[in-house]
Amino acid sequence: MSSELPRTLEQYRHAVRAHELSAEEYLDETRQLIERGDPQVKAFLHLRLDAARSDAQAADPSSPLAGAPIAVKDNIMMAGERCTCGSRILEHYVAPYSATVVQSLLAAGAVVPGKTNLDEFAMGSSTENSAFFPTHNPADLSRVPGGSSGGSTAAVAAGFALGAIGSDTGGSVRQPAAFCGVVGFKPTYGLVSRYGLVAFGSSLDCIGPIARSVRDAALMMNVMAAHDPKDATSVRRSPVDFEAALQPTLAGKRVGIIRELQGLDVQPEIAAAMETTRKAAVKSGASLVDVSLPHILSALPVYYIIAPAECSANLGRFDGVRYGLHEDGRDMTETYSKTRNAGFGTEVKRRILIGAFVLSAGYYDAYYKKASSVRQLITDELDAALQSADVLLTPTTPTTAFRLGAVTDPLEMYKADVFTIPANLAGVPAISFPAGKDAAGLPIGLQLMGPRWSDADILSCANVLFTALGGES
Amino acid sequence: MTTTIGLEIHVQLATQTKMFCGCSTAFGDEPNTHVCPVCLGLPGALPTLNAQAVRLAVRIATALGCTVHEVSEFSRKNYFYPDLPKSYQITQFDHPIATGGSLPIVTEQGARSVRLTRAHIEEDAGKSMHAADITLGGETLVDFNRCGMPLVEIVTEPDMQSSDEAYEFLRNLRRLVRWLGVSSGDMEKGVMRCDVNVSVSPDPAKLGTKVEIKNLNSFRSVKRAVDYEEQRQAQCIADGTPIMMESRHFDEVQGTTTAMRSKEASNDYRYFPEPDLPLLQLDPTELESVRAQIPELPWEMQSRFERDLGLSPYDAALLTEERSTAEFFQQTIALYDNPKKLASYMETEVAKLLNERDKTLTETQLTPATLAGLLTMVESNVISNTASKDVLPLLVDTGTTPTEAVRSLGLEQVSDTSAIEGFAREVIAENVTQVEQFKSGKEAVLGFLVGQLMKKSKGKANPKFAGEILRILLK
Amino acid sequence: MIIDKETLEHVASLARLEITPDEDGSLLGDLERILGYVAQLGSVDTSAIVSKRPAMTELRPDEPGEGLTREAGLGGAPAMRDGFIVVRNVMGGEDE
Ligand SMILES: [Mg+2]
Ligand SMILES: [Zn+2]
Repeated sequence: MSSELPRTLEQYRHAVRAHELSAEEYLDETRQLIERGDPQVKAFLHLRLDAARSDAQAADPSSPLAGAPIAVKDNIMMAGERCTCGSRILEHYVAPYSATVVQSLLAAGAVVPGKTNLDEFAMGSSTENSAFFPTHNPADLSRVPGGSSGGSTAAVAAGFALGAIGSDTGGSVRQPAAFCGVVGFKPTYGLVSRYGLVAFGSSLDCIGPIARSVRDAALMMNVMAAHDPKDATSVRRSPVDFEAALQPTLAGKRVGIIRELQGLDVQPEIAAAMETTRKAAVKSGASLVDVSLPHILSALPVYYIIAPAECSANLGRFDGVRYGLHEDGRDMTETYSKTRNAGFGTEVKRRILIGAFVLSAGYYDAYYKKASSVRQLITDELDAALQSADVLLTPTTPTTAFRLGAVTDPLEMYKADVFTIPANLAGVPAISFPAGKDAAGLPIGLQLMGPRWSDADILSCANVLFTALGGES
Repeated sequence: MTTTIGLEIHVQLATQTKMFCGCSTAFGDEPNTHVCPVCLGLPGALPTLNAQAVRLAVRIATALGCTVHEVSEFSRKNYFYPDLPKSYQITQFDHPIATGGSLPIVTEQGARSVRLTRAHIEEDAGKSMHAADITLGGETLVDFNRCGMPLVEIVTEPDMQSSDEAYEFLRNLRRLVRWLGVSSGDMEKGVMRCDVNVSVSPDPAKLGTKVEIKNLNSFRSVKRAVDYEEQRQAQCIADGTPIMMESRHFDEVQGTTTAMRSKEASNDYRYFPEPDLPLLQLDPTELESVRAQIPELPWEMQSRFERDLGLSPYDAALLTEERSTAEFFQQTIALYDNPKKLASYMETEVAKLLNERDKTLTETQLTPATLAGLLTMVESNVISNTASKDVLPLLVDTGTTPTEAVRSLGLEQVSDTSAIEGFAREVIAENVTQVEQFKSGKEAVLGFLVGQLMKKSKGKANPKFAGEILRILLK
Repeated sequence: MIIDKETLEHVASLARLEITPDEDGSLLGDLERILGYVAQLGSVDTSAIVSKRPAMTELRPDEPGEGLTREAGLGGAPAMRDGFIVVRNVMGGEDE
């Protein structure tokens, strides 16, 4: 039977509804794949396969997700399960409530096989910053899966789940999707509730789906996108059927190419994939337009001020008083610093320190305030560019997946986020979809960005390109 | 020496639920029972702003004459403390909901309008009990029930010059928040708390060094702390010792202030805009409707009572302490046009009964109509003033009408002169000695004779008539 | 130089992080380079920029919501007594 196993969520759902497959059968197959493959890939921090099996048994085949296994990044709360955020400070923490998105997925018939690995508190681009172990790229186990949602992405790429959810603060869903050869979608800020996502950079964080096809991402978005009264940044809008909105062609679409990103140093195969994809777009009825975003290269420094600033406040709650790791000191000040020192890894500490610095007296105006203004400037430019183009096409990453341990300089690691960060700063939707492989057989991902609330359109355009390049419809 | 005082007052808003979560604001329950992911600062929890807290904040700011801003912004104030679960307090910083405004005060030094700097909304921290409160062996106990309570913080300009003025400001502010239903103003429950900035200067043209006394929780403490601080700083100036710009703690037992230990040379709260809460935008028509619904303010009503009704400042102040009392008075006066009599009756007889019953006016059955009816019966001699004191409890407790109560108690006053004359003749016949004394010029004896007459009439005789008739018969 | 050892120590104390002696050399170097990199924003002209933060579209009605029991919310706390969280004495520490 395993040769006929559905490859996508869409195929799975079809098979279950046609009674060709049951949710338990599929979960048993998945369990085998996990038990065989995860000791090498290390996508999961904790598995709950027995619980998932009984959930699968109880799942309604006619529900939207029909008992499909969907993995959850371990910075998203699921009641009764540990939520470690890949950090020692929450190593034994059990969530007393579920994130709104987890509730929605469960209500739609998803079963959760386990919680996936990540860079500690989602800070990183390789999943090497997990306090527990690094995750490996299923396409080449000597390479990183990307990050920070590396566990979720590797799980989907390795067949350990039909889909997964991750969080994307500066590219953390899209970049690993590109590295692992799957689809990663960052919705418009405010479309998917953040309630229950452990905050890193609150004004940037988005929960997004990771899937094997664009259509699957759309199916998941149908379940995930909803106004949540528990999240004041969630926006009430009339519901959209993202799957029904998928169009067969790019007829009439203007695909923008960003002038200022052309000169960047990008791996030749990725540049070639851009060229192939541009041609495919034109062939499908799109026109290409050249757009200018004069300050887009400032996005990176803006991000590395705003995100640490927000994280320095967000991570203050991990103080050993109410939950999590506690290291006793002579007084409270020492108790705090001993706890936080023992609990946080180097990258997290580095970002907290940057954040505290850029917010502190005497530096606030030159750093935080300046960055906020430049953020607005980039947003304005992006909004203007998206008047003359319906979508913007860029690579997702400058290179394909690198080897574990290959990048040790934090600044070098940061700079690889150049293509993904602008969408977070501006709150616009962006998707990474597979677009071929490099000479070493490693997946290449390209990115589409669109105006705020054009999520259905972005998914549609990405679906056309993805299938034109050989992806599963 | 000139003393300059500014206040920062935290007023807890009278809502059902906390500022950013649906937990109850009830006071006095078991520790850590009104908690949820949001107010415990659990990972992943997000704040949502209480609409009623905003309404109440707008109401108080409007009444204080502040400029209420259509757009305001929340910020995070970062510091570590065990009763601050998120390690930041959500407050307003650069763009508060209201700026400006003033509150009038009257003291022996005269009337003054104390200007306000700003009013902003924020959440409270949890409650810490330190070893000083109870014997805990160097530990602090933390209860998060109070954590996230909705507050409005009112900051004054340094416009006060004595502890009396500071006291009076707080008293008048408390009256106002209660008047508007914005807060219970209950200082014992920590519903109003106050930080005081005091600076003493030998040169009236120059401000001294600002010293902050934190977390005072009674009007009396504010007065005592200011008095102590005034004298301490004056002593420093006299001795030539420098006054440190610092935060001080008031010791309720000793009546002194002591410098607070601070690990950091200066607090650096690293304020920045709260990303979890978009801007707060107020609807101008709603703001207008709040403005339209602001009732006559207590000090406005107080001066109107003095000016238009001729009440003494004392009576006017007493009657406008509570809005329900003031409105009761107003409604009663519409039916019984003797403001001074009504005022004194409410302050004595009515107040006494309320005290005995530990109730407020609105909690009893007494209505403006029944009280006006009762006083009208006294005025038109249907019953005596003394008899009214027997009637009042019935009105207060059962809500019956005064006519009904008087009838059931059999207290109709006898104003029939022939009946009174009959009693008078009996009294004269039975009290020969006293009659002689009166006739020989001892006026005071008349009181005794009237008393005897009242006794014979079982208290129903109109005492005024009784006196007059006795006087005529004794001529 | 943007950040020196003293500033780093100040910032670390604000953030309640310890800097161990073996960390501070490389940490200081990394922070200096990162802050130097982000400081390039100083040359961007932002004089005409107007912030366009969105406004809240709805507020929460003042109605009780679902809470947590003490056990569910604080059951994993390091120290509790009589329903209170217990910490080291902080009397006279930083203000509330
Ligand atoms: Mg305050
Ligand atoms: Zn709560």
